[in-house]
Amino acid sequence: ACPPAPNSNLTLSPISVHAMDREWMSMSSGSLGRLGMRGQGPPGPAPPAPAQLVQKAHELMWYVLVKDQKKMIIWFPDMVKDVIGSYKKWCRSILRRTSLILARVFGLHLRLTSLHTMEFALVKALEPEELDRVALSNRMPMTGLLLMILSLIYVKGRGARESAVWNVLRILGLRPWKKHSTFGDVRKLITEEFVQQNYLKYQRVPYVEPPEYEFFWGSRASREITKLQIMEFLARVFKKDPQAWPSRYREALEEARALREANPTAHCARSSVSED
Amino acid sequence: MQSSTKRMGVMTDVHRRFLQLLMTHGVLEEWDVKRLQRHCYKVHDRNATVDKLEDFINNINSVLESLYIEIKRGVTEDDGRPIYALVNLATTSVSKMATDFAENELDLFRKALELIIDSETGFASSTNILNLVDQLKGKKMKKKEAEQVLQKFVQNKWLIEKEGEFTLHGRAILEMEQYIRETYPDAVKTCNICHSLLIQGQSCETCGIRMHLPCVAKYFQSNAEPRCPHCNDYWPHEIPEVFDPEKERESGISKPNKKPLRSRQR
Repeated sequence: ACPPAPNSNLTLSPISVHAMDREWMSMSSGSLGRLGMRGQGPPGPAPPAPAQLVQKAHELMWYVLVKDQKKMIIWFPDMVKDVIGSYKKWCRSILRRTSLILARVFGLHLRLTSLHTMEFALVKALEPEELDRVALSNRMPMTGLLLMILSLIYVKGRGARESAVWNVLRILGLRPWKKHSTFGDVRKLITEEFVQQNYLKYQRVPYVEPPEYEFFWGSRASREITKLQIMEFLARVFKKDPQAWPSRYREALEEARALREANPTAHCARSSVSED
Repeated sequence: MQSSTKRMGVMTDVHRRFLQLLMTHGVLEEWDVKRLQRHCYKVHDRNATVDKLEDFINNINSVLESLYIEIKRGVTEDDGRPIYALVNLATTSVSKMATDFAENELDLFRKALELIIDSETGFASSTNILNLVDQLKGKKMKKKEAEQVLQKFVQNKWLIEKEGEFTLHGRAILEMEQYIRETYPDAVKTCNICHSLLIQGQSCETCGIRMHLPCVAKYFQSNAEPRCPHCNDYWPHEIPEVFDPEKERESGISKPNKKPLRSRQR
């Protein structure tokens, strides 16, 4: 079934609530159940007033937005500890309402990305377009740095050795031992902070002495950045046509096609702005 | 106009993307906000006429009202730049920042905040803040560590640092004005012109009323003999220039004051 048309007004149509419900029902018996949120627990205290659950949902919404803004992990046990607290038994309905609000108002999906680590992520639910940061690109030096490294890894087709990365960064005037006016401690940024944020993986190269390290794409980079965006970045930076990297460009087009097929939202009838 | 509780305003993908990106950036200057708005129209609704920014934001705010959040517009105290941030109106305590600061770090911020509010200039010296490190709640913090925590606040745009002294970032004022006025009702200063919270500003030497620098600029614009609006005494301070976004863009040089607002995006 087609998810709710993105341009519709915000009254909750029965179909969309049902669709959301189904998603959550299936999750609750499986993953959410394993997260400790069984459907009907033993009879306990009376449920809190609906207004209180709504308030909790709003608090959780803000909590998730701020965590995402600061590029921090959204961890279920933290959600319970910091926001849900004693309402843990009504976690599912709180989460459901929060997800609905995030989808309707922000166009974001709150998705359980890893049951194993109990992590959630905020994923864009709008039709994927060119990297939004491009709109404000001259104010986002950090993204440029990250994209540079990701592109290098992508073009190589495998992990990029730390030495190779520094060779590229040297061209930008960045050295591992020098503090930079914008980036600060660049080495810390790329080997620790980008790694913590799951944009990069930094691993020891096996069987090599003295020890060397290499960079890979992190899970978050794979989720948020498409290969086509990398090709566009490369084209811009090197002032070449993306076809200058033929096999990579082909790969990027393949991925874009696969994404379009997997995301029929993009092709669902987008009604014009409807008045309420 | 919609009634607020059951129904919400009209929200399209243009507005959703705008909200997403505004939230991602935390706080944005007005020119960037306009650019952002144009970008969102370009992505989702190329042929539509771009709404006037004020109307666009009011429309979104009517939807956000029931969620107790709001896109707020403020003006930087030092050079009068309009800024926007998505703020949470519901939680009015410093625990807003609680998502990534430890208990002792939050307390350090509270201490710095108090010093800033009590000060005459709106600035608290690094030394004075660090001297309070022993009084912090939570885990014991050394001064060295406290210095780094203060830098974290600067990077996260809660504080601005100028020559070893700290004051509140425009974003912090936007988010916390209500909290500050409720928590420090006696110590809080307000501007005689706009009546909002005042941290930095100029004051009349005679009667003591205060004005924000951008408010001074506007009030005394092209006035050869500036006089205090309250006691009519001669206004002794230098009158700053009114912020002109057009002039700023033409010069293309970044102003020194801009640095704090452009600190590392996280």
